[in-house]
Amino acid sequence: MVAVRFHGRGGQGAKTASRILGTAAFVSGYVAQDSPIYGAERRGAPVAAFTRFGRDPIRERGAIAHPDVLVVADASLLDDAAAHVLDGVTGQTVLFVNSSLSADRLRTHLTLPEHVTTRDVTGVALQQLGAREAISALLGAVAARVVGLEWEPVRSAIDRELRDLGLAEPVLERNLTAARLCYDSVEPARLPQGAVQAVGAASLHHPAYEPPTKGTARIAAAGNSVLRETGGWRTFRPVLVADRCNGCWLCFAYCPDGVISMNREDRPVVDYAHCKGCQICVHECPTHALIAEREQEGGVAWTAK
Amino acid sequence: MDSQMMTGNLAAAWGARLADVDYIPAFPITPQTEIVETLATWCERGELAARFVSMDSEHSMMTAAGAAEVTGARVFTATSSQGLLHAFEVLYSISGWRAPLVLVNVSRALAAPITLESDHNDVLAARDAGFLQIHAETCQEVLDSILMAYRIAEDERVMLPVIVNLDGFTLSFTREPVTVPDPDSVRRFLPPFRPFHLGFTASSPHALGVAVIGGTTYAYFRHQVHLASRNALEVHRETAESFHALFGRRYDLVEGYRLDDAEDVLVMTNAGASTGKAAVDAARARGKRVGLLRLRVIRPWPADAIRQALRGRRAVAVLDQNLAPGQGGILYQEVAACLYHETARPRALCSFVGGLGGQQLSDGAFQAVFEQTAEAGISGTGRGPVLLYSAEEHREMTQLQMVAAGSVRREM
Repeated sequence: MVAVRFHGRGGQGAKTASRILGTAAFVSGYVAQDSPIYGAERRGAPVAAFTRFGRDPIRERGAIAHPDVLVVADASLLDDAAAHVLDGVTGQTVLFVNSSLSADRLRTHLTLPEHVTTRDVTGVALQQLGAREAISALLGAVAARVVGLEWEPVRSAIDRELRDLGLAEPVLERNLTAARLCYDSVEPARLPQGAVQAVGAASLHHPAYEPPTKGTARIAAAGNSVLRETGGWRTFRPVLVADRCNGCWLCFAYCPDGVISMNREDRPVVDYAHCKGCQICVHECPTHALIAEREQEGGVAWTAK
Repeated sequence: MDSQMMTGNLAAAWGARLADVDYIPAFPITPQTEIVETLATWCERGELAARFVSMDSEHSMMTAAGAAEVTGARVFTATSSQGLLHAFEVLYSISGWRAPLVLVNVSRALAAPITLESDHNDVLAARDAGFLQIHAETCQEVLDSILMAYRIAEDERVMLPVIVNLDGFTLSFTREPVTVPDPDSVRRFLPPFRPFHLGFTASSPHALGVAVIGGTTYAYFRHQVHLASRNALEVHRETAESFHALFGRRYDLVEGYRLDDAEDVLVMTNAGASTGKAAVDAARARGKRVGLLRLRVIRPWPADAIRQALRGRRAVAVLDQNLAPGQGGILYQEVAACLYHETARPRALCSFVGGLGGQQLSDGAFQAVFEQTAEAGISGTGRGPVLLYSAEEHREMTQLQMVAAGSVRREM
């Protein structure tokens, strides 16, 4: 059995990519299974998805703890410990990262397995699709190539999955073209021969009663959400063009995360450590004083936790 | 001490009054309405210093009850049957918030077909909600159990909500003498509610019932609810002793009736147990060595007390006034489970289902139960679920079916 784990941000298409891989494997005649996991958060929050396929019935379900292949849709996730991207990765794990940086550049601050491939999938998407988020077909194609699936089942899987999402024919065609480019840009990998590690019986902790101050699902520390920096969720950031701003405070009112404050001159100040990049302020600004700028790898969005 | 004639519902209202509750969200439903009507009157007259609010449904009522409780107020409310089910999802939240309010449920069978009289499918549906459950046999026990419920619920070792259950009609509308405890003694028995983990104030906001993802955190808090509920076994014992010392009445987790030399034992709950005790007396008069075990506390499940009462018996019959379709009696399953590891377990365990929707448990029905249980004990083979339903009842039913089908016509 081959186990592929996808990590992405809400809205990037990691879940659909895992479905494309699942369907491609299924169409190729394998037994296949795919599933996502995510919380109640919005666009930009870390999500994961899992695809398994093989010749025998699949007895596992849920999260893949020890992936053979890891597909990372957003390199900033590698720096976010809370996203647990590298959990269960061994020296044998095949890693693909959507990044314009080389594997060696990534290795300067990360401990990565031996087989690492990077491609600027977002760049291909911007060029071919003119959209920044919809990279599911591209990631699915990359993953399918890495695990050695033929193009035809991959094409058919992208067609099925994107059609299910209601994409118009021209958009679908552009996705197929971009996906083919990505598919051809990577090589099939030598997958680790999944030697199952023997584990002993878990050492069980016998739960003891704790007083309700501890034993109740409550948070007494007010204002601790600032500890969770969500600036890394952005792919685009709102930037103020100061001379266009009329000081109307609409951005302040619309920001769903309360990360815009107003200074003494009635101008917005964005807390980039927590701005999730939803662009609502950019859409609402009546004078177009807030514009969206793409985050650069290694920029502020990369260092925010 | 003076006693006076009062219904189970009035006794429940007295329980809330003596517990000096702060807040009563209410919604009427037969056969519970008398409880909240009485409390409304007392609040209106200033005899009870509580805030009484009529809500738009039981769902809102339970939500308000839980929300008020987590501000540190002592909360009482009451419902029945469909009302309890309408409030259902909130029950789990309230126990998860560790909000120790007291809810009185007046048992009434569940629709469909709709009815007003009692069985226990309503309250037993809530058995896994994290509420403790005390099932009362008499009007006095209703009042006393509410006072005990607040003391157990608010104990730091428990901090869980409690349902006090009484049967509709056979207790709710039935008057019998009840002694109203002296308020000063109640104040000594039940200290003011001072929860450390609750109490929202403007200066110290906190989040309760927060979202958790991933399972581990969820499991920890659910385990805590379980452990808290188990702690209530010991806290109930201490509370019962204190209650006995102050008021002279003793309530244990289970109550044995003529068990000493009983070879066969009938297990029952709630007001029906009174009828069961009368049946035991009648059988004893015929020379049968039978007794009755009444389960009073259903959550936490008093497994040790049940094992102790039932070990070494020839046969045990559980008479469930409830029916889990496709399974049988609900309490039978739990009694069977806790006897499995008992080496001296009864030779036979029988399941009887009767008294559904206020169905009469006749002397004849009890006699049939005792006879079948004795046979099972002799043969060593349990039986059931046996649906208690007499040939006479069926003749009546057949008549009704003919009327419903239009085959009986009025003479013109």
